[in-house]
Amino acid sequence: MNLTPNISSKKRIQLGYAFILIVGMLFIARLFYLQVIRHGYYQDQASASQLKRYEIPAERGVIYALDSTEAVPIVLNELRYQIVADPEIIPDKEETALKVADVLGVNKDEVLEKLNGQSRYEILAKKQTKEVKEEIEKLYAEGEIVGVFAEKTTQRVYPRGQLASQVLGFVNDEGEGNYGVEESLDDKLAGTAGRVKALTDQNGIPLLASGENVLEEPVDGEGIVLTIDIAMQEQLEALLKKGLNNAKSESGSALIIDPNNGQIKAMANYPTYNPAEFNKVEDPLVFNNANVSSPLEPGSIMKTLTTAAALDQGAVSVDQTYYDPSFYSIDDAVVRNIEEDGGAAVRSVEDIMRLSLNTGATWLLMQMGGDELNEQGREAWYDYMVNHYQLGKATNVEQGFEEPGYIPDPTDGFGLNIRYANTSFGQGMTATPLQMAAAVSSVVNGGTYYQPTLVAGTYDESGEYSGSDAKVVNDNVVSSEVSSTIVDFMQTVLKGNSVTRKYARDGYIVGGKTGTAEIARPEGGYYEDRFNGTYSGFVGGDRPEYVILVRVNDPKIPGYAGSQAAGPLFGSIANMLIDNFSVTSISGQ
Amino acid sequence: MSPRRTGSRRRFAAANASGSQSENIRKHRPDYSLVLYMTLLLALGAVTVYAISPGITAAQGLNENFYSSKQLISIGLGIVAFIVASTMNLKTWRKLETPLLVAAIVVALAVRLFGDPVNGAYRWLEVGGMSFQAAELIKITLVVWLAGYLTRRKMEQKLNHPDTFKMLGIISGITLFVVAGLQSDLGSAAVMLGIIGFMSLIAGLSFKKIAVAGLVAIVLVGLFIAVSPYRRDRVSTFLNPTADCKDEGYQACQALITVGSGGMFGKGLGRSVQAYGYLPEAANDSIFAIVAEKYGFLGTSIMIGIFVALFRKIKIVAENAPNDYARLLVGGILAWLSIQMIINVGAMIGLLPLKGITLPFVSYGGTSIIFVMAAMGIVFHISKYTIAGQRESSREYGRQEKAKSTRIVRRRWGEA
Repeated sequence: MNLTPNISSKKRIQLGYAFILIVGMLFIARLFYLQVIRHGYYQDQASASQLKRYEIPAERGVIYALDSTEAVPIVLNELRYQIVADPEIIPDKEETALKVADVLGVNKDEVLEKLNGQSRYEILAKKQTKEVKEEIEKLYAEGEIVGVFAEKTTQRVYPRGQLASQVLGFVNDEGEGNYGVEESLDDKLAGTAGRVKALTDQNGIPLLASGENVLEEPVDGEGIVLTIDIAMQEQLEALLKKGLNNAKSESGSALIIDPNNGQIKAMANYPTYNPAEFNKVEDPLVFNNANVSSPLEPGSIMKTLTTAAALDQGAVSVDQTYYDPSFYSIDDAVVRNIEEDGGAAVRSVEDIMRLSLNTGATWLLMQMGGDELNEQGREAWYDYMVNHYQLGKATNVEQGFEEPGYIPDPTDGFGLNIRYANTSFGQGMTATPLQMAAAVSSVVNGGTYYQPTLVAGTYDESGEYSGSDAKVVNDNVVSSEVSSTIVDFMQTVLKGNSVTRKYARDGYIVGGKTGTAEIARPEGGYYEDRFNGTYSGFVGGDRPEYVILVRVNDPKIPGYAGSQAAGPLFGSIANMLIDNFSVTSISGQ
Repeated sequence: MSPRRTGSRRRFAAANASGSQSENIRKHRPDYSLVLYMTLLLALGAVTVYAISPGITAAQGLNENFYSSKQLISIGLGIVAFIVASTMNLKTWRKLETPLLVAAIVVALAVRLFGDPVNGAYRWLEVGGMSFQAAELIKITLVVWLAGYLTRRKMEQKLNHPDTFKMLGIISGITLFVVAGLQSDLGSAAVMLGIIGFMSLIAGLSFKKIAVAGLVAIVLVGLFIAVSPYRRDRVSTFLNPTADCKDEGYQACQALITVGSGGMFGKGLGRSVQAYGYLPEAANDSIFAIVAEKYGFLGTSIMIGIFVALFRKIKIVAENAPNDYARLLVGGILAWLSIQMIINVGAMIGLLPLKGITLPFVSYGGTSIIFVMAAMGIVFHISKYTIAGQRESSREYGRQEKAKSTRIVRRRWGEA
């Protein structure tokens, strides 16, 4: 060897370097392809995962009810946490499942199953407390687990338990209002979720680095103040339960409405449920507020409306009498009365309500057509039912699943005369208890139909309160004269009934009308031995202050359902209102 | 070594050459461009790590400058390693052959016995809060030991003797067994086999025999891949990286997305998004992709340019090394750094399978930084003893002449 390096060795080094040089050029060519030619493709792929759009949830509005005049919350939000996982970024699922299950207090295999899921968003547990969230975050901070996060959620809490559950409805796990006010006013309560469009890290946390980010703050939902009076609601629910029990009925409903503005003060159903545990309910029918969702053939309480219509139309006069034959044969069918009607006799208009004469109601319908059942009479009665009393269409009360009921067409169909004769005493048509209560209200308040409402006012997101005004739907339902006549009639009817007469109170006006309605068989026709008992009535002083409507489904006690089952329930509610709520007594007494 | 020791250069040459080399090698100005390119790469890495440190730490609950400050400490230690290595007499390296070998074997076994597997591979040893990557020690040991061994064989005129091939075969086998087998670190094993192959090549072993050995190595590597599901996955992922972007191919796909989304000019220093949890190992093995995202094609091509320029400088030192031993050392280091760069970058741009090795100088990671800087110290040291007149470039020759004129000053700075 000498000082000159081995030429062969030098060549070999150069060979190695040539290799490096070629690879380097190859790399640069490849980089040019990836970064310049294919840049758009890869940028799209990057954006697809980096650019995330998601919502910042708005806080749902609180629901208030009235404690006499003060609004107190009956549905609140409670902060809860949802534990979620992104299985894709979890390296050791066994280990993670073990640790997470320990915190959640569930079986490891349950968690592991979810971690083995295909989704990149697996919900491991819902409605967890802050303590659970903190433990999860501690594990994460210590590097014990990755890919498991706690997300803020809220859940509804009900400081008054089951109170007014069907009126309130509930919020499902997806945050949507179901049934009741929660469903009907979902838009207002939900508010507007904020929107984020941002480049985020893999956990979805926005990076500050981009000017393309969009951030819209959420607008919290409005607070809703219900017209419901908490104490009245509590007592109504108790009385309903008791009344149904006394009547050996399994279900029923009752409501109290202010006839002078349409505000529903209390609205109850039985059976009921606990909205905090809505997911444990087996029969979803119990979610329904039967007062608005379950129309029924109202029965004789309809006669109040028929009488008012005939009087208002001028077809009959207050002191008019007529010969009642005790039955009418119409279209191969016979309209009969109850056995205690006293047989064929000369009757007054008041007798029609007092004795609850089906033939009398039919006679009223005849008078509306010029002394016979005809299209003219049917159309006039239809006009009253639909355009005055607002039957056959939803009241638009703030409730989910409101049913419109059914009023037969006066001109189209077979056997229209008998069908319309039936409607005059509340059969062959349907209405919800609320529709009936609102219609009766319009008849006894001087003739104004107020849209029934559950909302007294709202709090906007800044806490500003604005009251809702009563909404007049029809200010000429019946004349004020007819209205006061009906108020008188109803008092007479109450006093003339052996069951309800004891509910008349000195110094107050108490009136009402029973209804015993046949129950339609699902397959057609009517059950022979099953009836719904209804009662519509009012209490007040100088004028009716509360209209009450009760419904007792299929009571098993003997006697007419209307008077024997619904009557006492109405009476107990009337007494409750007079005794515990500020019904003003008749002036001068 | 004491810079004041007179006549050390003479002694160095004599001792180092073991009698086979001339004593007339004159010490001259080292090749500072080595330091320049190394510094550029270190700075690029440090700045990149600094920029993505908040992104990585955010998910780990660490201080946001955790990675950048650790990287700066590593570079500091690397500078110490560089200075020590650049002032160390080559004779010392020859003395260190056996201690290094023992240390490497101990560490290699300790990693398997006491180390915790990371992604299925035993590569790290936790020592007092610092993690030590065994492969780095093994690489430098391999270079130092092979340089000594091959120099001895050459002196003994037994370079192409079958015993040499046997020995190289045994070394390759042990490397494969320990690094690819016990540590499941196929990437480092490939770098080491490359070092063995390239050092054998420049030592003067017959091409044919190296080719045969290479084939044997390929078969062995193939077997190693075939027996481990982990490595099979990696290879099948490599063959079709975008087939399974959600699972096995995730890192490969994310690397391509990261590189591709950088575009011509990049997103800018603070605008990397992929580092925020999308791209695994963003600061370590995948840092090239982050560089590509931040600085674009412009940045990556310049960076590869710097690497190639650095390798060219190392090549020139190797070509003009004063003796076989020095040439083999520099050649081994050249193989080490260049193969590691090629495997790392090749994986990031979808040309090679992901191997989980660092990009020299740029990647985050103390062990890698310290050992590659030490290796550069050796090259820098040898660049002071390259043979004048063999320069390819007259510019370097001129610089050499200039260096001569300032020799007195230089001499005080340090020698050998």
